[in-house]
Order: sequence, then structure tokens, then C-alpha cells
Amino acid sequence: MTSITLSGVNKSFGANFPVIRDVDLTIEDGEFCVFLGPSGCGKSTLLRMVAGLETGYTGQIRIGDRVVDKVEPADRQVAMVFQNYALYPHMTVYDNMAFGLRQAKTAKDEIDRRVQEAARILQIEALLDRMPKALSGGQRQRVAIGRAIVRQPKVFLFDEPLSNLDAALRVHMRAEIATLHRNFPAASMIYVTHDQTEAMALADKIVLLHAGKDMLKHGSIAQVGKPLDLYHRPRNLFVAGFLGSPTMNFLEATFVAQEPVGARVVLKSGEELTVPVDGSTLAAGAPVTLGVRPEHLAPVVGPAPQTLTRKVSAVEHFGEYSFVYLEGGTSAPLIAKVPGDGGVKAGDSATYAAPADCCHLFDADGIALNHI
Amino acid sequence: MASSPVARVAGRIAVPVLGLFWLAVTTVPFLFMVMTSFKSQQESFSSSVWALPEALDLVNYRSVLEGPFLTYFKNSVMVVVISVVLIMLISAMAAFAFARMRFRFNDALFGLIVAGMIVPIHITLVPIYLMTRQMGLYDSQFALIGPYVATSLPISVFILTEFMRQIPKELEEAARLDGCGPFAIFFKVFLPLSGPGLSTIAIYNGIMLWNEFIFAYVLTSSTGTRTLPLAIWDYQGQYTANIPAILTVVTLTSLPLVVAYAFGQEKIVKGMMAGSLKG
Ligand SMILES: Nc1ncnc2c1ncn2[C@@H]1O[C@H](COP(=O)(O)OP(=O)(O)OP(=O)(O)O)[C@@H](O)[C@H]1O
Ligand SMILES: [Mg+2]
Repeated sequence: MTSITLSGVNKSFGANFPVIRDVDLTIEDGEFCVFLGPSGCGKSTLLRMVAGLETGYTGQIRIGDRVVDKVEPADRQVAMVFQNYALYPHMTVYDNMAFGLRQAKTAKDEIDRRVQEAARILQIEALLDRMPKALSGGQRQRVAIGRAIVRQPKVFLFDEPLSNLDAALRVHMRAEIATLHRNFPAASMIYVTHDQTEAMALADKIVLLHAGKDMLKHGSIAQVGKPLDLYHRPRNLFVAGFLGSPTMNFLEATFVAQEPVGARVVLKSGEELTVPVDGSTLAAGAPVTLGVRPEHLAPVVGPAPQTLTRKVSAVEHFGEYSFVYLEGGTSAPLIAKVPGDGGVKAGDSATYAAPADCCHLFDADGIALNHI
Repeated sequence: MASSPVARVAGRIAVPVLGLFWLAVTTVPFLFMVMTSFKSQQESFSSSVWALPEALDLVNYRSVLEGPFLTYFKNSVMVVVISVVLIMLISAMAAFAFARMRFRFNDALFGLIVAGMIVPIHITLVPIYLMTRQMGLYDSQFALIGPYVATSLPISVFILTEFMRQIPKELEEAARLDGCGPFAIFFKVFLPLSGPGLSTIAIYNGIMLWNEFIFAYVLTSSTGTRTLPLAIWDYQGQYTANIPAILTVVTLTSLPLVVAYAFGQEKIVKGMMAGSLKG
């Protein structure tokens, strides 16, 4: 049993306003869980609380069926990989990996066996006698992971492990971490990042955290779920805007009426659209926000129902796809992500369909209305 | 930095000129000392101050080394080595606590210890003398170790605390996850990583204590217990006017420091810089 349960967890530093609020969360046995959120939302703090490095919180944390609130970090059977790797600079790679086992008084040949095994998995056998300063960033990263592996922990904790690597290496190491997870199916992983691509690529479950006013109002957790659940069914405006790049287009609209197929809304610019959600709680004329992702806007010819017609202000070409910037109706420009060169140029008027299935509707508080 | 060509040329000339000037200021007395130590008493009176010795006459060295010089030397080495080791250990432990542990009065206590730097040792002489007498340590080498360690601690704790504050917090946390308690974190991570800071305080205090005079003068009285700086004093009385002999003693006294510097120059300079540059 290596599930991790946080119940009613709150944390603040000193007399400041809370950093973590009302976190109730279960990470299942062997699950790869990613904490995602903007800078300063408390991802690291939450991770460090699981590690036992951050104390002075209220609530309860359990690893397996053991309450660990008073358990020393070393006794929690967790291993952590730090953002800056935190390798001991005065020890060789071998000693860095063996250090924890030596502290635990593991037998010498057992230490050697585990270090060699980890080195083999991570392909750093040739580096065992080097000092950390003689390693490249990617190699240091591997050693840091090796140091975690040899302890055979029940839980792996990663705090932005890839953020110090260059883009190409990051993609490579991302795949290795996914492999690592497959090789240690029994261990749960918590992985902190502010990079949504990493989160989407790796996670079984994403925990999206928010900060500031939202956190005070709704608690730290904005939404928990499978990556595609968060992408397709964001619970509120924050989640909808955080995931996806470029971010979801938001259009101010007014609720007209609820029909069997969905809620009918009218945009500021006059178009009427139907969104397959349950708006029965809304009064006619209530302000709502319509959300539609750039990649879901499809070019169509001529005016038709469920479309938006706008003037093109700019086009960015990327070869495989293009971003078409559309003006009018919103403070930020609308963006359509279309295949190829998009077939339009600045100054044209263009029409895009917003398929009903891909539209989202948020009430005045920014909460998504349920799909029907 | 923008600077006019004139200023740049002036700078290019001024720096070496000032450097040479300073070299002269510091080496001239040193050369005088070494040269004179090879002269006989007569020669030192008759020849010009800057004349080279007529022959490499070791008579002064022989007579000095036949006297109690080696006893003084041995005492100095013992007192300095024991004191410096104690200073390193105590100040490293204190610095670790100040830099890394959270406890009430951490800042206040640190401030108090650092404030110890401004206490002139002269006002502590009489109380320390009386305490030493009462403890029965008067006129023993061990009488010196206590005051030496105590007076060196403020600056050492200060330097090492600043040094240890630079060690990343994550290393400490990694060690905690690896099962280290405070003592293991200190001995296995912080102490080895404080090498440059420790050598700074070892060198600084080693030089200060090697040359320390006042405590040695007040707390010891017989030949068997005194240290080198007092030897110079003793010889001054003994050889009243024998300047070459006195300078021989001075040469021999400074020899260990010169040798140490010659071999450890790089380390010493690095050590001195260690506090200011993030390693
Ligand atoms: N020791 C501390 N004392 C006071 N405030 C702290 C401390 N550590 C963190 N904080 C505050 O808590 C909040 C959350 O910090 P945390 O490091 O968990 O954020 P994060 O989500 O990991 O951000 P990032 O993506 O930038 O790493 C921040 O506002 C930070 O200023
Ligand atoms: Mg962080």
C-alpha cells in the first residue's frame, strides 16, 4: 500500500495568509500524480510536506495506512529529486548514491549491488568515480534520480526535475522518467511542474493548484483528474485558461434560454450559439462566458449557424499549422489554430465554426456549467 | 565602465608603480632582517646597513639554536596547533547552529558573539590573569589555549556562519532524507563543504596566534613555558646590543609562516576570498 492521502491540509508561513488551503487528495497506489500550477501556488510546499521537510501544517497526511505527520523524512520511505539536484559536491557519484544506504547501515555488498543496478538502469556506470562538478546537467539529473532509486522508496517525489535542462534534453529525460515509472510500478510518484506539456505527457492524474484570491475562495485545488478530463472538462475559468496553448478563447455572452440540446447564448457581437450544457439554474439575461479552444475553431465558408465571423488582424505561420488572430468582441484577440497556412491574410474577414461539443460555458462566478 | 583614454593609461602605469612601491615597503625590512642575521656583531656595526654580509656566517644561528629557542618553538607549535583545532571545531559547530538551526534568540546570540570582536583584549588581561592563577594554570602552555580560543571565536564564528549560509538548503534536506540527524548533517555534509572557510580561519588565526604576545607575556613566566614572540623579548634582554642575534631569532620565528605561505599561497588567497565569492 503506497497510496498517499492528504486530508484537510492547511499551511501558512508565519502570520501570512495561507499558502495551502483545504487540500483533500488521494494519490493511488502506483499512480503518477503531477502537481501543476502557476509560480507561487504552493506546489513545492505541498510536495515538501509529503516529504516531511515542511512541518507546522494542520490536517493529516498518510502514506499507505500510516499517518506520517510526526515521522522523520528518512523514515517515510520517500525519495526526492530536487530541482537543483542537490548532489553532495564533495562525494563521487557512487558515494552520492550510496550515502543514504550507508546511513541506514545497509550491508556493503547490498549497497554495491543496488548502486550498480541503478547505474545500469540510468546508464551512468562510466561516471561512478566522477565528482558532480565534472558532470553535465543531464548526467547530474540522472545521478539525482539514481540516488532516489537505490533507496527503493515507496514514493518518488520530483520537484521540477527538468527545469534546469535545455529543451531537447528535457523531452528526452521526460521519456526516461516515464520509463522509470513503468520500471517501478509499485511506487507512487508525485511530480511538481509548472509546465503543462510535461504534466499532460506524464500524468495519470493532474492536481491543478491555484493561488491568490481563487485559493482563498475555493481552496488550493482547482481541479483533480486525468489530463484529458482537465482539458476537455475544465471545472472553472482558471483551469480552462491554464491548460492549452494558446489558451482558450473567452467571449462574453448573455444566456438566452435553456433548450433540450443545450443552453442558447448570444454573444456581444450578436451571434447566437448553443452549448450542450445544463443552464437551467440561470435566469434569462444572465451574463456568462463562452470558452472555445483555438484548435477547435474550424474554418468554414459563408455564414452558418454556430459560427463566428471576424476580421483577421494577423496570421502567424508555423508550417504545419497557423495562428489566425481575430479582432472584435474581446479585450484579448481571438485565436484560431488552423492547419497549413490558414488560407487567410490580415485584413480579410473569416468565418470559423465553434462546434457545440467543444464549447464551454461558465457562469458569472467562473464555474463551468455541466455538460449534458 | 566608461573611462577616458588618459585615465586608462594613467591606470595602467599607476597600478604597477604602486605595486612595486608596496613591494619595496614590505620587503626592505625583511631583507634587512635576513641579511643582518648573517653578520657578526662587529660587522653589523662597521658595515653599511645595506651591505651584503661578508660571508655566510652561521654563528648567530648556532648560538641561538643552542639556547632555549627550540623549547620556545615547540611551545609555540603546540599552543597554536591545539588552539586552532579547537577554534575550527567550536566555531564550525556554532556557525552551523547559527546558519542552519531555528531557535529562539538565534539572531540575538549571534549578535552577541560577533560583538565580542569589539572587546579589546587588554581590558580582559587582569581578570584572565586572576582566573588563570586560581585555576592553577599560571605559567603553563595550557594557560594560553583558553584565552586564544576565546578571543579568536567571534571573528571565526562570523566568517564560518556567513560561509555556511551560502551552502544550499537542499543539501541539508537531501541529507535529512538520506537519514542524517543534525550531527551527521554537520560532520558529513557541512564540515567537508566548509573547507575553504575553515582554511581561512585556520590561516588567519594561526598567524595571529603565532605572533601573539600579550597573553603569553602575562600568563607565562619561565623559559620552559614561553612561546616564540616572548623569545624575541627575552633575547632582547639577553643580547642587549647584539642586533644580529635578535634578528636571527626573528628570522627563525617568521620562517614557518614564510614557508607555509610559499607552499600554500594559492590556498591561502583562495581561502581569504572564499567568504566573498560564492563557491
Ligand atoms: N519558508 C518560507 N517562508 C515564507 N513564505 C514561503 C516560504 N516558502 C514558500 N513561501 C511562500 O509560499 C508560497 C508557495 O511557495 P512554493 O515554493 O510552494 O511555490 P511553488 O508553487 O513551488 O512555486 P514555483 O513554481 O515558483 O516553484 C509562495 O508565495 C512563497 O512565497
Ligand atoms: Mg517550486
